[in-house]
Amino acid sequence: MFRGFSLARVSIGTRLFVSAVLCSVIILVGAAFVLSAIYRRATERAFDERLQVYIQSVAANISSKNTSNAVDPYGLGDPRFTLPLSGWYWQIRIEGTAPQNVMSSLSLFGGRLPRLEDLHIQAREGSSREGYIIGPDERRLRLVERAIELPDGARYLVQIAGNADEIEQTILSFKKALWTGFALLASALGVTTIFQVRFGLQPLKRLSGQISAIRRGASDHIEGGFPHDIAPVADEINLLIEFNRDILERARTQVGNLAHALKTPLSVMLNEASGQDSLLAEKVREQAGIMRDQVNWHLERARAAARAGVIGVATEVAPTLAGLERTFLKIYAEKSLAIETHCPADLKFRGEKRDLEEMVGNLIDNAAKWARRRILVQTEAVPMIDGRLFLDLIVSDDGPGLPAEKRLDVMRRGQRLDETVPGSGLGLSIVADLASLYGGNLSLDDADGGGLRAVLRLPAL
Amino acid sequence: MRLLVVEDDRDLNRQLVKALGQAGYAVDSAFDGEEAQFLGETEPYDAVILDLGLPKIDGARVLEAWRQAGRKMPVLVLTARDGWSDKVNSFDAGADDYVTKPFHIEEILARLRALVRRATGHASSDLVCGPIRVDTRAGRVLVNGEAVRLTSHEYRLMSYLMHHVGRIVSRTELVEHLYDQDFDRDSNTIEVFVGRLRKKLGVDIIKTIRGLGYLVEPPTPV
Repeated sequence: MFRGFSLARVSIGTRLFVSAVLCSVIILVGAAFVLSAIYRRATERAFDERLQVYIQSVAANISSKNTSNAVDPYGLGDPRFTLPLSGWYWQIRIEGTAPQNVMSSLSLFGGRLPRLEDLHIQAREGSSREGYIIGPDERRLRLVERAIELPDGARYLVQIAGNADEIEQTILSFKKALWTGFALLASALGVTTIFQVRFGLQPLKRLSGQISAIRRGASDHIEGGFPHDIAPVADEINLLIEFNRDILERARTQVGNLAHALKTPLSVMLNEASGQDSLLAEKVREQAGIMRDQVNWHLERARAAARAGVIGVATEVAPTLAGLERTFLKIYAEKSLAIETHCPADLKFRGEKRDLEEMVGNLIDNAAKWARRRILVQTEAVPMIDGRLFLDLIVSDDGPGLPAEKRLDVMRRGQRLDETVPGSGLGLSIVADLASLYGGNLSLDDADGGGLRAVLRLPAL
Repeated sequence: MRLLVVEDDRDLNRQLVKALGQAGYAVDSAFDGEEAQFLGETEPYDAVILDLGLPKIDGARVLEAWRQAGRKMPVLVLTARDGWSDKVNSFDAGADDYVTKPFHIEEILARLRALVRRATGHASSDLVCGPIRVDTRAGRVLVNGEAVRLTSHEYRLMSYLMHHVGRIVSRTELVEHLYDQDFDRDSNTIEVFVGRLRKKLGVDIIKTIRGLGYLVEPPTPV
């Protein structure tokens, strides 16, 4: 059977796990981006600081006009400024003069660095600007520039550029470590979430296990302590089961009381009329008989109604059969019947003892009415392919048997095939009704010795 | 044979007492569990008809109390509850037979006869000893196949003695089992009845054992 996906059916465990993992991943990814940004800022700042040191050094040399060294006129002392296209450059523009009045490091190899001011980069603090540019060798450069005004009124723009790859390298290796670390953290969180969910849901799992044990009939109430949040549920279920039993018991008691209240006066009427031959007595006898049948029929219906919805009960079969055997030996003491019962000791019927007695009692009673001297009651467990367990209760007698075409009739309510044998005629139909109420059935066939064999199939435990 | 009828419904109790009296039994009656328990424990009944739904003490409890006190008289349970579980419970409490309401008096009579017969160890409803035959179903006594007309008291005496063939029955026992509790008990009347019975039967089958009581014995083959 295919059922479409519905969020409402997703298990609590899956919900908790998926939501925990999603939240962890979102938070970790966000944190990784924020951390990367912070780290980039810090790295750029540190790089800029280094470039600023060079600017200060250049500025100091400009003001002292100490530019005697042609290779390193401003005494920066870093060979990268002299290597061609090293990615490290300096450049001094003398403001207020023609654009060609520019001095630059040897490494710049005749190229020019653009002005950040022209690229519309705002000064961050004082007269200093920082930013990225594309250098003469098409490399990405980090450029810091600063305007310097000497006391004599000369204005310079000092620019120092460094290879931005250095910044990117540092940030990249940081990012690698960060993402690896966070990935490990995320998977660790995922694994711990599984344990948390399992541990957290364990009481619920225990509760559902106990409920199914009650439904199977293996237990009659929920026991053991539960956490505060689901303890009320367990208590409510226990109360519900108890309530269910109370209602059932009350219904049965009332049915029993009604039976007593009606049948005693009926007995009186029948007996009062039985000694007389008048028309009135005849009428009373006839009507009292009809009333008796009606009372029996409706009591049986009421009992069946009270039976519906019983949960969490199981009955041991062997002691029930033993009780019935004792009873029948006394009831049919005159007939000197041999009743032989076989039953596995641990077999249980999934239902009320009263109902099992009613079904088996009627079967044995029917067998006893027809049997010559022997009744055999066998019980066996019948496992089904779908995993459910049933039991077969087989009652066979050595009586005359029943023709196949009449077998269905006796199981229909109110049918009595032979009016000469005492009994209300409801017996086998009650058994069939009750059995189907429990999801079982009754079938009749020939016994080995020629008598009738009744097979009652019922849910077992 | 002396019986106890325990039934709380006045009408049904009266009907039962009347019908059983007509059938030749001495009958006491009780209307609640307390009275029933007391009577059953103190009086020597040959059988009891016990309704289960009783005021004061439930019928099943009364029956259990009797059995625990060692009272072994056969008990016929009468009840409106006709489920097999009720029957199993009754038999396990010590009942010997079970009749569900509504019933016909004839059914009670037949079951009672069988119960008393089985309790005294007889297999057939005809009690035979030498030339004497007591047909408990018809309530008749035959000598050599000829029916003898007996009063109900005489029949009761004959039937009790025939149920206990081969055993000495004292006068006190006879008084206890032949009369209900309201009867003016005088063991001398027993002698009068035995005398009349011997005359009517015409065969010497009831022997007097001096100081002990009476004995009905099969004639020793010559």
